[in-house]
Amino acid sequence: MSEHNSTRAAPDPIHVLHSYDASSITVLPGLEAVRKNPSMYIGSIGQEGLHHLVYEVVDNSIDESQAGFCSRIAITVGADGSCAIEDNGRGIPVGIHPEHGKPACEVVLTTLHSGGKFKKGSYQVSAGMHGVGISCVNALSEWLELEVWIDGIHYRQHYARGVPLSGVQVIGPTEKRGTLLRFLPDASIFQQARAFSYATLSKRLEELAYLHPGILITIEDQRTGRTQGFQYQSGIFGYVEHINRSRTVLHPRPIHILDSMDGVEIELAMQWTTAYADDVISFVNSINTIYGGTHVNGLKAALNRVINDYADQAGMIAAENGEKIAIFDILEGLTCVMSILMPNPQFEGQTKTRLSNRDLKKLVELVVGRHLAAAFKDDPRLAVQIVGRALEATRARQAARRAAETARFHSIDTRVTEEVYQKQFGIRSRNWHESATWITDKGLLGLHADLCKKAGNTRMLDVCCGSGVVGAAFKGRVGEMVGLDLTPQMIELAKERLDEVHQGTVYDLPYKDESFGLVVNREVLHLLPHPEKPVSEIYRVLEPGGQFIVGQIIPYGAMDAAWMFRIFKKKQPLFFNNFQEEDFRRLLQGAGFVNIQMKEYLLWESIDLWIDTHETTNLHRHEIRDLFYNAPAEARAVHPFEILPSGEIRDQWRWAVFSCFKPGEGFFQ
Amino acid sequence: MTELRGLATHENLKRAFEAEAQTAHKYLYFAKIAEIEGYPDLSQLLHEMAEGGSCNAHGHLDFLRRVGDPQTDMPMGVTDSNLASAIAAEIREHNKIYPEMAEAARKEGFPDIASWFDTLAKLKQAHVERLHEAMEKVIYSSKEKDQ
Repeated sequence: MSEHNSTRAAPDPIHVLHSYDASSITVLPGLEAVRKNPSMYIGSIGQEGLHHLVYEVVDNSIDESQAGFCSRIAITVGADGSCAIEDNGRGIPVGIHPEHGKPACEVVLTTLHSGGKFKKGSYQVSAGMHGVGISCVNALSEWLELEVWIDGIHYRQHYARGVPLSGVQVIGPTEKRGTLLRFLPDASIFQQARAFSYATLSKRLEELAYLHPGILITIEDQRTGRTQGFQYQSGIFGYVEHINRSRTVLHPRPIHILDSMDGVEIELAMQWTTAYADDVISFVNSINTIYGGTHVNGLKAALNRVINDYADQAGMIAAENGEKIAIFDILEGLTCVMSILMPNPQFEGQTKTRLSNRDLKKLVELVVGRHLAAAFKDDPRLAVQIVGRALEATRARQAARRAAETARFHSIDTRVTEEVYQKQFGIRSRNWHESATWITDKGLLGLHADLCKKAGNTRMLDVCCGSGVVGAAFKGRVGEMVGLDLTPQMIELAKERLDEVHQGTVYDLPYKDESFGLVVNREVLHLLPHPEKPVSEIYRVLEPGGQFIVGQIIPYGAMDAAWMFRIFKKKQPLFFNNFQEEDFRRLLQGAGFVNIQMKEYLLWESIDLWIDTHETTNLHRHEIRDLFYNAPAEARAVHPFEILPSGEIRDQWRWAVFSCFKPGEGFFQ
Repeated sequence: MTELRGLATHENLKRAFEAEAQTAHKYLYFAKIAEIEGYPDLSQLLHEMAEGGSCNAHGHLDFLRRVGDPQTDMPMGVTDSNLASAIAAEIREHNKIYPEMAEAARKEGFPDIASWFDTLAKLKQAHVERLHEAMEKVIYSSKEKDQ
C-alpha cells in the first residue's frame, strides 16, 4: 500500500487521480473465489445468473432512489452483448477510502461485500439481491467500464475480469450527476447462458417500477432497436390491475392493504378473477421471492381463516359438520402482489428466493387477517363474491374428480359416455386457444400438412377436431374438409375453419367404411381409456391406400417418462396413456396401418399458461410446479425445461407426428 | 451366533424395513402437501420424521445385510454385490413385476394405472443399462488397483 500511496503524491487532477504499478495489478483473493465458484454468488452460470448481474447493478440504483437521490435508471443492452446501467443518483464516491488507500469506487468494485461499508446507516432496507455487491459483476465480466459524474467532474475507470486496468481518470467537467456501469459478461464463465433476454429484463424492470412508484426505468436494446420506459405512480395496486387487465375480474377494485408492525412494512393488493390459476407474487425488499416463504404462508393462513370464518358465520357452509373450504379453492383465480420491507431478511434454498424469518408468518397473518376481515365487514357484497367464488371452486374440483372416476368406471366395458367427455371438454373453448402455443403453432401445423401424400381432391376427416385448426392446416392440399367433435360449442368453432362438421364420438365414427382418403388427428388418443378402438375406427373409415396423420406429445425417453406421467396426469385427469414412441407405433400397427413414419418437432411451452384451465385443480397446479422445481436428475438429463427468474416455467415439448397408411391401391410408398 | 436366515426375526426385519421405508416416503409426500397448503411447521416436522424413518430403515439394513438383499436374497454389503443385487432387482421389476401389474390393472379397468406401470417397466430397463455401465467402471477400477 505504501508504494501505492507514493504514486499518489502529486495528483494531476486533469489526468490521473491514481496510478498503478505492476505489483498492484493482482487479482484480489475475494474476487478469485467468485470466478472459481460463480454459482455460489449469483445462483447459476446459466440464464438466471447472467441476468442476475444486471439486477445486482440495478438494485444499487434502486437503493439510491429509495434514499431519495435518484429518479431515473436507464438500462442499455449493447449490440456487442454488453449491458449498461446508468442512474442519476449521487454517483459512487471516487475519493480515497481511508482504510484501503484506494478510490472508494474501486474498493466497491474489487472487494467482496464492500457495498455495505458505504451503505451502513444510509439505507434502512437494501434491495441488493444476495448482497454480493457489484464486485461480483466486475469479477465475472470480461471488461467493465465505470463512469461517475460527481461534484462537477466526469470520471472513468476500466476493469478486466475484476482487475483495474487504470486509475480513476478525470474526463472533464460536467453538469451531470450519476453513475454508469457498462460490462460484458465473461463468456468463459457463462458457458451455459445465452444472450441477455429483452423479455426477461423488461419484465423485471417493470416489476421494479411498480414496486417503486415514481421512478422512471427505461430499457433500450441496441441489438433490435426496441425500447420501453416504465414509470408508475400506482404501485402494487396498479400492478395487480395491470396483471389482471386481460382477465375477467370478480370485483372491480383490488383490495389494498398497507400497514406496518414491529418495523416491518407490509403492502399488499389482491383481486380475484375468473381464471383458474392463482398468481401470488411476493417481494421482500424488492427481491422476488419466487419460492414464497414465511410471508406467503402467513398470507395463506389469513385467507384461510377469514374466508372460512365468514362462510361459517354467513351460513354458507356448516363448519360444525367439519365442512371447510380448502386453501387451494380460496387461492383459485387470485392475483396478489405483496411487498414486504424489513430489516435482516433471511433467505434459504440454493436460489435464496424463499423467505425463512419465522416470525414473519404470524405477523403477516395478523395484519392481513385484520384488514381483510374489516374489508368484508365494510362491504358484504365483496365478501359474498369472494367466499362464493371459493365455494364454487370446491364444487368444481369435486365434479372434476367425479368425471375422471366416471370415465374409469365406464372404461371397464370399453365405452366412455359422451357425457363424461362433454363435461371435460365442453367448457374448453373458453381460453383453450391461449392455453398452449402448440394449438396454433404454424411450424407444427405445417409439419402435419407436409406429411400429406394424398391427391388434391382427397376427402379429409379431422377427428376430435377441437376448433378445426389441424384440419384447416391442410387447406389447399385436400378436397372436402370434414370435422367431427363431441360438443356443440366445439362444432360451432370448427365450422369457421372446415367445410362441414358433425357431432359424434371417436369410439363409433358416424361414417360408412372407406369414406375418406385422409384422416388427421392430434393430441387426443392419450386421453382415451382404450385408444385401440378409435384407431381401428379410423382405419375402417379410410379407403384402401388412405393416410392417417396423427400428432402426439411424447417423452424424450424412459428417463423422463415417469416424471412426465405425473405432470400430465395432474394437469388432466383424463390422461390414460403415456405413449412412448414404440407404444404409439405398436398402436398403429395393431390396427393394421403400414409404412409408419415419425417426424419430431420441439416446441417451448409456458407451463403456467398450460395449467391455467378448469381441468387442473389448484393443488395439482402447485404439485406440477413443484415437480418442475424438484425434477429428478434423470429427467433433467434428457428433458429440457427452464425456470425463469420470475418463477415461470418453460418446458420443451417433444412432438411426434406420425404418418401411416391403410394398405391398398394408391398406397404411397 | 445363531444364523438369522429363515427365522421369524429375519422376516420381522424385512417387514420393519418395508414399513420404515414406506413411512419415510409417505411423510415426504405429506410434507409437500403441507407446504403447499401453508403449514410450514408441519412440513418441517414431517421432513424431520422422514429423515428419522430413513435412518431407521438403514438400521434394519445393517442387520439384513448379514443375510442378503431382502428384495433379491442376493448378497449385499459391499459395492460389487450391492450393484449385482440392484441390477437383479431392476431386471425383475422390468420384465416381471411391472408388466404383471400393468396387465392386472388393464384387466380390472384402470388403463391409466396400467400405463403408469408400463412407464416404470421401461424406466427400470434404462436403470439396468445405467447400472451395468457403472458396474463395468467399478470392476475396471478395482482391476487397476489390483495391478
